[in-house]
Amino acid sequence: MVTRRFMHLDVFAPRSGAGNPLAVVLDADGLDTDAMQRIAAWTNVIETTFVLPPTTPEASYRVRIFTPRRELAFAGHPSVGTAHAVLAAGLATPRDTADGRRQLVQECGAGLLPVSVEGDGATRALFVQAPATQVLARRDGNDARLRALLGARLSNAGAALIDSGRRWWAAELVDEAAVRSWAADFDGIAALASPDEAMGLAVFARCAGSDYGLVVRALMPFHGHYEDPASGAANAALAGYLHATGQAGELGDRYVVSQGREVGRDARLTLVRDGGRIWVGGSTQTVMAGVLRW
Amino acid sequence: MTPHDFMQLDVFASAPGRGNPLGVVFNADDLNGATMQAIAAWLNLSESTFVLKPTQPGADYRLRIFTPRQELPFAGHPSVGTAHAVLERGFVAPRIDTDGSGALVQECAAGPLPLRIAGEGAERVIHVRAPRGVEREADSRAVLASLKNAALGAVRPALIDNGPRWWCVELADEATVRGLTPDLDAMAPANRADGSVGVAVFARCAAPDYALVVRAFVPADGIPEDPVTGSANAAIAAWLRANGALPARRFRSSQGREVGRDGVVEIEVDAEGEVWIGGLTQTVIEGTLAW
Repeated sequence: MVTRRFMHLDVFAPRSGAGNPLAVVLDADGLDTDAMQRIAAWTNVIETTFVLPPTTPEASYRVRIFTPRRELAFAGHPSVGTAHAVLAAGLATPRDTADGRRQLVQECGAGLLPVSVEGDGATRALFVQAPATQVLARRDGNDARLRALLGARLSNAGAALIDSGRRWWAAELVDEAAVRSWAADFDGIAALASPDEAMGLAVFARCAGSDYGLVVRALMPFHGHYEDPASGAANAALAGYLHATGQAGELGDRYVVSQGREVGRDARLTLVRDGGRIWVGGSTQTVMAGVLRW
Repeated sequence: MTPHDFMQLDVFASAPGRGNPLGVVFNADDLNGATMQAIAAWLNLSESTFVLKPTQPGADYRLRIFTPRQELPFAGHPSVGTAHAVLERGFVAPRIDTDGSGALVQECAAGPLPLRIAGEGAERVIHVRAPRGVEREADSRAVLASLKNAALGAVRPALIDNGPRWWCVELADEATVRGLTPDLDAMAPANRADGSVGVAVFARCAAPDYALVVRAFVPADGIPEDPVTGSANAAIAAWLRANGALPARRFRSSQGREVGRDGVVEIEVDAEGEVWIGGLTQTVIEGTLAW
């Protein structure tokens, strides 16, 4: 039995318990794929990552990402959290880039991906670059199907089917209260999302006068009516859509999202547009640090 | 908040990954119930426990048990695992009985509960006395239909109440139990209708290492199959005893292989007819929790 450093983190969380959990096994050398999958099933965390030495000098570290059921090539919150764990454990140091940022380079199933580092210690925020967003379809605020689902909550801006690796329907609602108070109709969301093979529906609204510019809820009807407490990928796709269609408005090139209060969390995600690229990030809390013996 | 020592254990497991996980937060006297519930929800383990100073004379420690959704007055695997954790940390020392076995008294919401301890570390076996199991009258037809009318064993199916209510259904043999694919969509409403937590199927085995094979389905609570279930094993033992059908006074059951685990529950029925359930616990994760 080997002892490895282990962390249980809360990602996109300004405090413990506010974000999306992640388990990280450091020093994962020597674990085979089967052992990693069994550990990820046993921890029962939504994702568990395993940190390995990089196989190429350009990379700061290598990571493999597992849900309790399968391995993923890439995912947003595991990448942000793993970078936090690597920095906290002193396994890698950020390098300066030509455009004045500090970054780590993560080697994962999807290739080499930059992780941008802002600040240090408790105020450190980490950002991953999101794939470009394609807008596959748009519906205005009079669309009958969306009106039937959302009623008077639907704004005039309407909705769109967007894709940045995974597809989402995204609908802008009239205000923050309309988002937070919606008793989501998961059967209706399934009927909307199913023909387009979308993950579900992200509803959002602009919030003036708060410490966040947007409130978002990500509703996934196909595996037990799941509401994601903090969605890196869905928020990145949403930011790409708002910028691509000229709807960012007062949100500007950098805005904060509030997500997860409706499921007992209170996550914050920061969305940054940098040239044509979208970065999604935030802070991570080290809830538990210790060792794993397996 | 001050950091708390934390362990994540594997209960009823002869090696890490074979049993039922449990989170244990030590020195939890400064945490209120709402914070405990929030931590248990965030950890998302089947159960998390919080170790507190005892409030009753004779108790060695107190614990509170939470699922991600609610607090429980008592549960088997959290009791076995928490006792292992406090012994590993040296928080308490077992009293040694005349027969050489060790004893602890755990205070939980269901009252003071005796535990028996033998051995040390990863070899330590802890038994907890289960609440008595009594039969509740109920119609088994919907549950048996959800088992797709699998071939039954000799003992009549019954609804046994030992805190939770378990349907205990003996099937013809080990292969029938291990090969079973129940209709969970039909089972969940049957459980809701009669107030049962789930369905425990079992069979006698000729295997050298275990006398029973057990599987426990809990679809009404969103858990298709529980990996290793103390209370279900205790309910089965109580029902077998009532039928004069115990394989032995002490025996082992095998549970969890069908969900990628390989748990072993050690069952003992004492001279007074009380059922004790126990097993080995592995300390998988140790660290500090900051909430």
